[in-house]
Amino acid sequence: MDWAQLWTIVSAPDNVPIVAMLFLVPFFLWLGLRQAKANDQLAEQLEGDPKLAKTHHRKTLPWKPHWARELHVWPYLLRIEFLAVIIVTVILFVWSITLNAPLEEPANPNLTMNPSKAPWYFLGLQEMLVYFDPWIAGVVMPSLMLVGLMAFPYVDSNPLGVGYYTWKQRKVAVGAFLWGFIMWIALIFIGTFIRGPGWVWFWPGQTWDHNVQLYEINRDLPDILGITSQPLKGIFGLLVVVAFYLIAGLAIHILITWSKFEKKIFERTTLLQYAVFQFFAITVLVSMPVKLLIRQLFRIKYVMVTPWFNI
Amino acid sequence: MADNTQSEQLEKRAPDTPERDPIADSSMSGALLISSLLLVVTLLWSLYDEVVGQRPWRGYQRDFVSKYSEYLDTAKTRQGRSEAEIKDSPEYQALDEAYKTEKAAAEEKTRPIDAQSKLLDEKLTAVTAPFTDARSWIVAKTYQLEVTESESGKRSIRETIAERKQKKIDFKMPNDQGIEEEKSLTFPELEALYNGLRDEKARLGAERVQLTQARDAAQKKRDEYMQDHLGGLTAEQVGGLQKKVEDFKFEIKQINVGGVVIDRCESCHLGVREPIKLSRSDMGWTDGEYPDDDAEATAFVSHPNRELFKTHDPERFGCSTCHGGNGRGTTSVEKGHGRYKHWLWPLYYKENVEAGCNQCHNRDRVLQGAETLNRGKNLFQVRGCAGCHRYEAFDREADALSNARQSIKTLELERDDRRREITQTKAAADSAPSDEEAARLLKKAEALRQMISQVDARIDEFDIQAKYLMQDVKKIGPNLKEIKAKLRKDWIPVWLSDPQAFRPGTKMPTFRLDDDEIKAISAFLWQSALDVKLPTQPQGDSAHGKELFKTLGCLGCHSINGQAIDMGNQVIGGDFAANLSRVGEKANYDYIVRWVHNPRQRLAPYSPTLKRDLTPADYKKKNLPFVFDDDHSKSPVDGRELQIQNMTVMPNFRLSDQDARDIATFLSQQTRPGVNYPSASFLDDGSLSAQGKQLVQRYGCASCHEIKGLEDEQRIGTELTLEGSKPIERLDFALLQEPAMRGEDPVTGAESGRVGREGWYDHKGFFENKLRSPGIYDRGKVKTAEERLRMPNIYLPEKDVTALTTFLLGSVETNLPQSIRYNPSGGKKSVQDGWWVVQKYNCMGCHNVLVGEDSILMGLPMYQSADDREQLPPRLTSEGARVNPDWLLRFLKDPSQTTPAERASLAQAVAGHAQPGGDDWTPSLGLHSQPGANRNGVRRYLKARMPTFSFSPNELQALVNFFMGASSQAQPYIPEQLEPLAADEQGMARALFSSNAAPCLKCHMTGDPAHDAKATAPNFLLAPERLKPAWTRRWLLEPQLISPGTSMPSELFKRDQGHERWVFNGPTPPAFQTYEKDHVDLLVRYMFQISLEEQRRLGTGGGAPSAAPATPAAGSKTASVERKTRRGAGRPIAAIRAP
Repeated sequence: MDWAQLWTIVSAPDNVPIVAMLFLVPFFLWLGLRQAKANDQLAEQLEGDPKLAKTHHRKTLPWKPHWARELHVWPYLLRIEFLAVIIVTVILFVWSITLNAPLEEPANPNLTMNPSKAPWYFLGLQEMLVYFDPWIAGVVMPSLMLVGLMAFPYVDSNPLGVGYYTWKQRKVAVGAFLWGFIMWIALIFIGTFIRGPGWVWFWPGQTWDHNVQLYEINRDLPDILGITSQPLKGIFGLLVVVAFYLIAGLAIHILITWSKFEKKIFERTTLLQYAVFQFFAITVLVSMPVKLLIRQLFRIKYVMVTPWFNI
Repeated sequence: MADNTQSEQLEKRAPDTPERDPIADSSMSGALLISSLLLVVTLLWSLYDEVVGQRPWRGYQRDFVSKYSEYLDTAKTRQGRSEAEIKDSPEYQALDEAYKTEKAAAEEKTRPIDAQSKLLDEKLTAVTAPFTDARSWIVAKTYQLEVTESESGKRSIRETIAERKQKKIDFKMPNDQGIEEEKSLTFPELEALYNGLRDEKARLGAERVQLTQARDAAQKKRDEYMQDHLGGLTAEQVGGLQKKVEDFKFEIKQINVGGVVIDRCESCHLGVREPIKLSRSDMGWTDGEYPDDDAEATAFVSHPNRELFKTHDPERFGCSTCHGGNGRGTTSVEKGHGRYKHWLWPLYYKENVEAGCNQCHNRDRVLQGAETLNRGKNLFQVRGCAGCHRYEAFDREADALSNARQSIKTLELERDDRRREITQTKAAADSAPSDEEAARLLKKAEALRQMISQVDARIDEFDIQAKYLMQDVKKIGPNLKEIKAKLRKDWIPVWLSDPQAFRPGTKMPTFRLDDDEIKAISAFLWQSALDVKLPTQPQGDSAHGKELFKTLGCLGCHSINGQAIDMGNQVIGGDFAANLSRVGEKANYDYIVRWVHNPRQRLAPYSPTLKRDLTPADYKKKNLPFVFDDDHSKSPVDGRELQIQNMTVMPNFRLSDQDARDIATFLSQQTRPGVNYPSASFLDDGSLSAQGKQLVQRYGCASCHEIKGLEDEQRIGTELTLEGSKPIERLDFALLQEPAMRGEDPVTGAESGRVGREGWYDHKGFFENKLRSPGIYDRGKVKTAEERLRMPNIYLPEKDVTALTTFLLGSVETNLPQSIRYNPSGGKKSVQDGWWVVQKYNCMGCHNVLVGEDSILMGLPMYQSADDREQLPPRLTSEGARVNPDWLLRFLKDPSQTTPAERASLAQAVAGHAQPGGDDWTPSLGLHSQPGANRNGVRRYLKARMPTFSFSPNELQALVNFFMGASSQAQPYIPEQLEPLAADEQGMARALFSSNAAPCLKCHMTGDPAHDAKATAPNFLLAPERLKPAWTRRWLLEPQLISPGTSMPSELFKRDQGHERWVFNGPTPPAFQTYEKDHVDLLVRYMFQISLEEQRRLGTGGGAPSAAPATPAAGSKTASVERKTRRGAGRPIAAIRAP
């Protein structure tokens, strides 16, 4: 275990945000889920007791007589936000005093640094370059992610869960988001902590040896299966991709119609909403981890090989 | 927020006392207060960081001010005390008295002038205001006039101006008595008055200066006396510094060099340029007691070499230009010194500081004051680094030679093309449809023929250059084609396995070879050598050989165990060439004779065009004798230039055959007793040869040695010209990189103390470790023999490692502005270029070339007494001023100064024994008769001999230019025409020459063999063509200034104040009573016009320079001359040695 190596990465000023995220993401996840759990319990209780529902009327919070039924934004919300602003300002002050901006040497066009890494927030994208063609990883996927994020509110046909934390009422939405978000963080984590010189996979604590020599041969799926001629390769790849979409779509369908509640929501959904959701869910949320796994586990580079693009 | 899970229970409890609303009723003032306070604290912290944390130099400046003023206080008292002492001295008192008198006198004289100018000032003040007021009104109006378009407008403005000029201006002005008067003048009158007053004031000022001149001179004299006797600054000057420190401005001190270099170093290094020399202890160094204080004390000292500032003004050059480091950095010491990962040009460590010189002085082979860097460059050349590593300017002859050959090839192709074109054009002309067309084509063919002749001329030029370059290109190691004749067979593998063991400090590095590889290499070399049997030489006289070895000057380059020459147990001599202590164990006697006799003489000439050594058979085919030398340098096969010399820098000492045998006998006796090497019969094993050749090629042996079949091998190493700016990522630390990067010593595993780029993992670390152990970066690697690092172990002492590291660190690509680089022209350029030749042949082994740098010979034990020093080769520090460049060129070409007649008779002798013969090697194997054998050309009395170097015309010219440039002599030299001597002058000069007071001919050679044997100075007959009159004059006056320790007497002449001339300092012959001219000039003219006849006449007529010891002449002046000349104990009159 090379602690010095680990410390070099963890202590780099560039990596402060991602290191902080390693703690902040689980913490807020826990916080949110705890709240969601409480709310779900309350919702259950209120369902069983309509009388209580009438008296208990401050959204999900418990309510008692003599308490105000509703509270104004000012001052009750804003003062908390103000406090948060102050605390964040203090943190930014301390951060900027103690860690100076890492100004590096003048760029040398004849020399590429190794490993040459993007800023931490782009490392997920850079890591994706390992698994996809540059134009897919760099252009198509990020565009799909943005469009998907914009589209999701409109494909949501669930009327519940607005304005409070809940898990039971929005399993699909929360699950899909968490899946995507954690995947993104994971890619950044890999880019920061795992990828060393030569963009080689080093487990945390392994020395980033510049002299490292690896036997790693990645092959295309058609080659492994002995398909060598071009139109066949493309056709075969297309079949595999279509099959993947079908299987993944089926799996997602089962997942989002698992329980009675979900089924009910599904029935409210229009075909267009359903199709858009499926498309983004498969293309972004499923294909990314699947591609990562088949690459890392089976050393498969591309599934579909055409003269124009590869997937 | 409240916890929902308990809401049920809460609900069931009776609401007797209403619970407080957790949101509406809670106050957040506590949290707000605390976080606001925190915000204020961080705000203050950020202010502190901005003002203090990011500006550590403020602290430095504060400390500097306190320490410096403290130091100045003590300095002032100290200086004040010594100043007071000086003021008490009678000399100073007298000067001060003189000053006071002058001052009083001056005051007396200036009083009326001062009164006058005071009145004048009052008048001027009164006039200035109305005058400038009117003038500016007119100037403004005139401008309006200039820009007005319409004629009518112009006219009206002109009228206004004219009107205004005529208007009277009223003002008050004191009259001559100082009483105010009303005045009323027009503008032109006012202007005249104003100008008149100003002129008057200027006149008075000049007059006043005239009157105070005597006072100022007296003051200057007094102050100079003080300055001369007081070391350092006067109390007053120290006071000035104190004032400066009191007004110290706390700010970033910045130097901006053309926007390229911006240095703020002096923000902390505040003492660097102070006029007072500050040492660490001056600035409160406490001998390691308080580390922080020490750092500061070290930061505040003066620049250790302030002389440099004279040529490198910091305002123009900055600091980081030379020292490296991040001149802009002010936030911490590490940042400023550039000792962090992202700064590519860190501050040089103290031992490597001269690396900074090299970026501008990379063309200087020798840079005065940069000993370490010079040493590094020297090692790079002498140890043969340039053989494997290309480095611009080193070993440039080899590159130039291959360029010239390439050019010849290209030109030959061009010529062939042209020829073909001519044939085609002619053919086309024959079948041309019209006469005009045919005429045009024929004309074109004619033009092409002319072009061919131009190409031919260029080929000839390159051919000549190639010839010269072949003469100049040298190899560090010996010619291995001759080892069959030269070496003992059994010795070769022993040598290859560990050269250091046989000859400690040898240039031959140790290759990391196993026994089989050594066998293969030895076998290949042995079998590839020329198979020639040298004629057997009779043994010589070893004792005489030893004497010659000691006195000829061999020790200027070679070293030997002191025991061998009866001089203690230490190795003595120079390290430029081999240590000869055990040379008898390796070399054959017959070969040593030949080598000592003329090292440049090859066994067989090499033809670069045929790529083989020529044999007698080649010459026989053309019915030519097997003779190859300067006059027979063309190949009999294809007419091209041959390599006719051994590529060694060892010169030809023009020894007689017998002397060569004596020295060889002495050298061949240099063996360790009882040496016995195991038999090496495998050297004849033909099966090893192929592997040996591969190894020899892989390890680049041909870089330093001439090896048959490998004459055109390329350099095998990496180019080092810009090695210092290679990105660190490009330096291959191999497996040592990871530990080195984190500050461990990768070899011992210990913490190196310096982290990352400051220890192993930086350029310095890479170079040093590579030089100490060239194979180190193979550590831990699994490699085949072919892949291993090839650089051999060189066993450098730590000092040399530092020197070479300094040189490599300084080998950088510079981005400095042209204006501050060193691009000399004229004489300085000649010096820059000439040093390469001077160093190449190690002139400094015997001669003192650079003022203050002694030659090797000067340090030898046998040249320590005053008498022996006269046997040293001459100092060359002012050679350019001394001699005529044309003569110098002839002398360097042939130091024996052979006359044409001698040369002709010699050529005959050579022709005599060089008959065209069969397979006869004899002409190349025998000892040739040498021109000018066994003598020096000028100083025939010296035992040390100026050898013949066979310089090419290129190098001859470079050397002559070097000496002229070093003495700032204008080129070309046009000899000064001296006034011919009148008859009476001739007689006077002759009388002086031979008088007892100036016994010139006692020491100077006369051509009489009996006398010359004891002479210690050159013959006067050489003077006219050799010397420059101006220098001769200076030499006669002050020989000690030019050549310290010379036995040429000083104070031969004294100044005759009345006549502004020099006269002889001693009793002069009667004819001089009426002579009005300068005596030195007379002697110089006499010397430059002396003839052989005149010299004979001197020898017989004047004071006989022969046996009789000169009786000290009466008269104190002469005695003083005698005293000065008297040096050696047993000698009546010490040798007087002239240039």
